[in-house]
Amino acid sequence: MAFIEAKGLSKVYVRYNAPRTGGISRLWKRERQEIPALTDANFTIDRGELVGLIGPNGAGKSTTVKLLTGILTPTGGTCTVDGRTPWENRREHVRRLGAVFGQRTQLWWDVPIRDSFLLLRDIYGLEEKRWQRRLDGLVDALELEGFLNAPLRQLSLGQRMRAELCGSLLHEPQLLFLDEPTIGLDAVSKLKLRAFLREENERGGTTILLTTHDMEDMLALCSRVMVLGHGRLLYDGALDALLQRYDTVHTLRVTYDGGADVSALTAAAQVTRDGDAFILTYEPATLPTSTLLPMVLYAGRVREMTLKEQNVDELIARMYREMKL
Amino acid sequence: MRYMFHSFRMLMKSAMQYRSSLLMQVIAQVVLTGGELLAVTVLLSRFHVVGHWQAMEIMFFFGVMQSSFALTELFGRGVAAFQGFVGRGEFDSLLLRPRPLLLQVVCSQLDPRRVGSCAVGVAAIVIAASRLEIAWTVGKVLLLAEVVLCSMLLTLGLFMIEATMCFFSVKSIEMVNVLTYGGRSTCQYPVDIFPKPLELLFTYLAPFALCMHWPVAWVLGQPMTALSPGWYFVTPLAGLVFFLLMTRVWYWGVRRYRSTGT
Repeated sequence: MAFIEAKGLSKVYVRYNAPRTGGISRLWKRERQEIPALTDANFTIDRGELVGLIGPNGAGKSTTVKLLTGILTPTGGTCTVDGRTPWENRREHVRRLGAVFGQRTQLWWDVPIRDSFLLLRDIYGLEEKRWQRRLDGLVDALELEGFLNAPLRQLSLGQRMRAELCGSLLHEPQLLFLDEPTIGLDAVSKLKLRAFLREENERGGTTILLTTHDMEDMLALCSRVMVLGHGRLLYDGALDALLQRYDTVHTLRVTYDGGADVSALTAAAQVTRDGDAFILTYEPATLPTSTLLPMVLYAGRVREMTLKEQNVDELIARMYREMKL
Repeated sequence: MRYMFHSFRMLMKSAMQYRSSLLMQVIAQVVLTGGELLAVTVLLSRFHVVGHWQAMEIMFFFGVMQSSFALTELFGRGVAAFQGFVGRGEFDSLLLRPRPLLLQVVCSQLDPRRVGSCAVGVAAIVIAASRLEIAWTVGKVLLLAEVVLCSMLLTLGLFMIEATMCFFSVKSIEMVNVLTYGGRSTCQYPVDIFPKPLELLFTYLAPFALCMHWPVAWVLGQPMTALSPGWYFVTPLAGLVFFLLMTRVWYWGVRRYRSTGT
């Protein structure tokens, strides 16, 4: 059986609003408004997978995470994690669970982070030796030794995120939820964090579910993504395949020495000028790059040429547009 | 237990990070509660007796109320400030930890400045007890401890009304404050000096009389009711019952929170 299995998982929030019209009765009448946050989600995740969860704001990502962590009970459907239903028997479930929410701390603000880790040991009822070994390993991997005795509030954002990760992994969870773990981090910290997560996933066998808006995170970490929009699971599969599907337009920038006859190019692709340079936009599916290139070379003496793929953010933006999100 | 002990120790450590601020606040609390004590003393120096109670007896009641209330505020801060906790979304992180929720809420915060009020309360008890001629027995001392403990549970239970309401985003906090802070101000005097409705309110609805006044009155040798002495060990349990009841209600609120997520 799959590690995580969701069938028809749905969540509808109910909100009561004061009606906008209708005399005095407005004071006590409330309009019931149903907001579907997640509709009929079906997916399975195997042990040891590293899955990315993407979608624009309000797509249902955090609702999905809250359902899987057992914070919320669903309005429909079923879901099991390691054979257990998350929202029943909360304590048994969360014992095997770790979570890091980039915007919110799980540690204690004013005490040295070592004390936070000590308290987490008590909270999870960890055995002293095992805890110490695990802590040593994590401190080493996350390079925390320098500020174990500093209170959380004195740490930089990158240090804090590493401390959070350490705290969430002390009890060796089988499943780790990460929400925007690299938000606000500098390039070096991001790379280190990603390397650590990959390591934790591959060697430690921890199943990781990652929500992020950072497409570089996705590219670096996830082979599989789930795209959510308007509370529906719109795509579930390989990240490469998803990108290829939307990576349909390429741009070639070329500068010529002296004059050039671009009439043939204009017929084949869309050509615009940027100072000296010509910018050719074409679809590789109908016009392979191998066909276009000779035409470009034939048109004049090429001084400089660059081929650009779309960056991932643009691709995702385009995907959201086409999925009407 | 170990979890609770370590939590509190760590929270104390947190508070100690701002030592001078804490010291000032403790002093402020001493002044505040001391002021109330002074007001009671002034009042009593004019009238000597309130109802059938002498000045020092009133002082004794005052001390028991203040100290048990301050202790509740000290340890029950997490419950009292629960609304903000939910508002900031921090409650979700408690749901992710394998410990009983209410225990986690209690362990999440401490309000060390209440040490000040508590000290004043204890001082009032000591002063009053030294002036009164109480025939102390082991039983009476134990009863007093039970009274303080059960009054704390009762007060915590009252705080939990508010903590439950915030699951429903109802803002009728003022009404609840009538019972909590109103209860403190009212019930620092023995309840039988008040008009009947008030007496009934604080006997059966928010049973400060059962928890505190009846047994304390007996300790002081001035029983309010005609119960046989053994019963004074039973009536404070009303606080425990009230607390357990509110716990059920609060968990019901938690279930609702988890199904609505508001």
